[in-house]
Amino acid sequence: MSVKEFRRRKWLYFSGKILLYLFLLFVVLVMVTPFVWMFSTSFGSVETAFALPPRWIPDLSNIRAYQQLLKSIPFFLYMWNSFKIASLITVGQLITCSTAAYAFARLRFRGRDFLFFLLLSSMMVPIQVTVVPLFILMRRIHLYDTHASLILPVLISAFGVFLLRQFFLTIPKELEDAARIDGASHFTIYSRIILPLSGPALSALAILCFLYFWNELFRPLIFLSSLDNFTIPVGLTMLRGQYDVGSPTRLMAAVTLAVIPVLVVFIFAQRYIIEGITLTGLKE
Amino acid sequence: MDVKTKKSEIGRREALAGYLFILPTMLGFLLFIIGPVIAAIILSFYYWDLFTSPKFVGLDNYKALLHSVRLFTIYKNTLIFVLGVVTLNMGGGLLIALIVNRKLHAIFRYLLRTTYFFPMITSVVAVALVWNLLLNTDLGIVNYYLGKVGIPRINWLLSSKGAKVSIILVEVWKNIGFYMIVFLAGLQNIPRQFYEAAEIDGASGLRRFFYITFPMLSPTFFFLMIVGLINAFQMFDMPYVLTKGGPGDATRTTVMYIYETGFRFFDLGYAATVSISLFVLIIVLTLLQFRISKRWVFYR
Repeated sequence: MSVKEFRRRKWLYFSGKILLYLFLLFVVLVMVTPFVWMFSTSFGSVETAFALPPRWIPDLSNIRAYQQLLKSIPFFLYMWNSFKIASLITVGQLITCSTAAYAFARLRFRGRDFLFFLLLSSMMVPIQVTVVPLFILMRRIHLYDTHASLILPVLISAFGVFLLRQFFLTIPKELEDAARIDGASHFTIYSRIILPLSGPALSALAILCFLYFWNELFRPLIFLSSLDNFTIPVGLTMLRGQYDVGSPTRLMAAVTLAVIPVLVVFIFAQRYIIEGITLTGLKE
Repeated sequence: MDVKTKKSEIGRREALAGYLFILPTMLGFLLFIIGPVIAAIILSFYYWDLFTSPKFVGLDNYKALLHSVRLFTIYKNTLIFVLGVVTLNMGGGLLIALIVNRKLHAIFRYLLRTTYFFPMITSVVAVALVWNLLLNTDLGIVNYYLGKVGIPRINWLLSSKGAKVSIILVEVWKNIGFYMIVFLAGLQNIPRQFYEAAEIDGASGLRRFFYITFPMLSPTFFFLMIVGLINAFQMFDMPYVLTKGGPGDATRTTVMYIYETGFRFFDLGYAATVSISLFVLIIVLTLLQFRISKRWVFYR
């Protein structure tokens, strides 16, 4: 290889690398810009909201949009509602999914594989099919417009059972043998051996579950009707309905308040979320 | 007690424990999934508006479904979204995963991973509200910056084509991180020796991709396609917030239609019928994919 050729290759390599980084940087910008704009706009006034070029540096002392927001809707109540609903569902799913997953992964009983298959195939059922009859049921048993109508039907999850079972199968059986010889019950093995070893999988399920129901729109829109029962996503859509173009700053203030807790949690929980997602992507 | 009866006693106790452990899940499954599915099928033979008593109408709902021009348009929209979203997510997600899988600076890798995650974990409602303003034809920053590089103003949200494209792009923007993460996990599971061997044999980059990366990644591909398709068919939040289904019916999806029919106009029987048509479509397509998968998905 001549010196010239070597230089040419080196140059090609570096320019390729620079192009690559530029491309990735561009993608990062596209991903982040909407959030930055949201944040900056929420601290602006109505006149500057649509300023072009946009004002990227927010004037953090201007919190008028936030004050207006809190006057127009009970935002923190919605936040509490969302939090309450999502956490109760998460706790419920952790219990029902982990016990079922333990049985499907470890215990032998008649019909086990068939029941597991049946449960898994229910993941194909779109919630739109079940939501119409559930809506009628909730009205019948007077749970319509209560948070219970949102929580009860999703205290179980086929996805959660699947995720935890996949993880339980990776725990070596030998760990339980000693306990079994000592005459430990299945519940003891489940609660004293399996659960303590499943921290990553349980937290992954907890985070995915919480996020899903914190962000959910479809069911709350159908099952809730009084303003005081709303969750954040429903509250946000109401805000837009009411003030369509009127107040972009107030709208962005609301979105900022809705998004920030999630982002904060995320920064701490990133590892578990990624683990959870890759766990579900495992084959078999 | 001899050994045999003791053994069967242990087996019985194990089975009993098994049933008890799955009891809550199976009970919920019966009450909130199987029951409602059967109820939805029954409901599809009735006209019911909640306020009068249900009226048996035979196959009328299904006839209406098959002859509805509007529903045909709506299903067409849904299919366009499914195709657009799944293709772009898979293609884009794989491309970015391939790039990130190379030797990148650790800080850069963290930055990338974190930023792709932001949209993924925020609610569709939140991001759709932001994009709704960003995509404003006259005042939005998207057209402003496109104008800077010489691209004329695009009517994003108020033209039929523009609105469809907007839905697809924002949906991809939101979910591409998920696809990237799963692809990345798949890529990192491929043993290095395969590539080393191929390199010694002098296989080009493209050949290595088609003969090693793709076959090894095919289960990941398959998984993402199944999940992506099922999710895309159920798209609701994005068009509901970003375009409200408009202009006209240009971005109305099947699920939006179910919502409006059932819970705005309280035609519950017809809403159930449409939801069943969606269910059948999803089942058929998923089973079809499993069928075809035997030809191209490669399990180690």
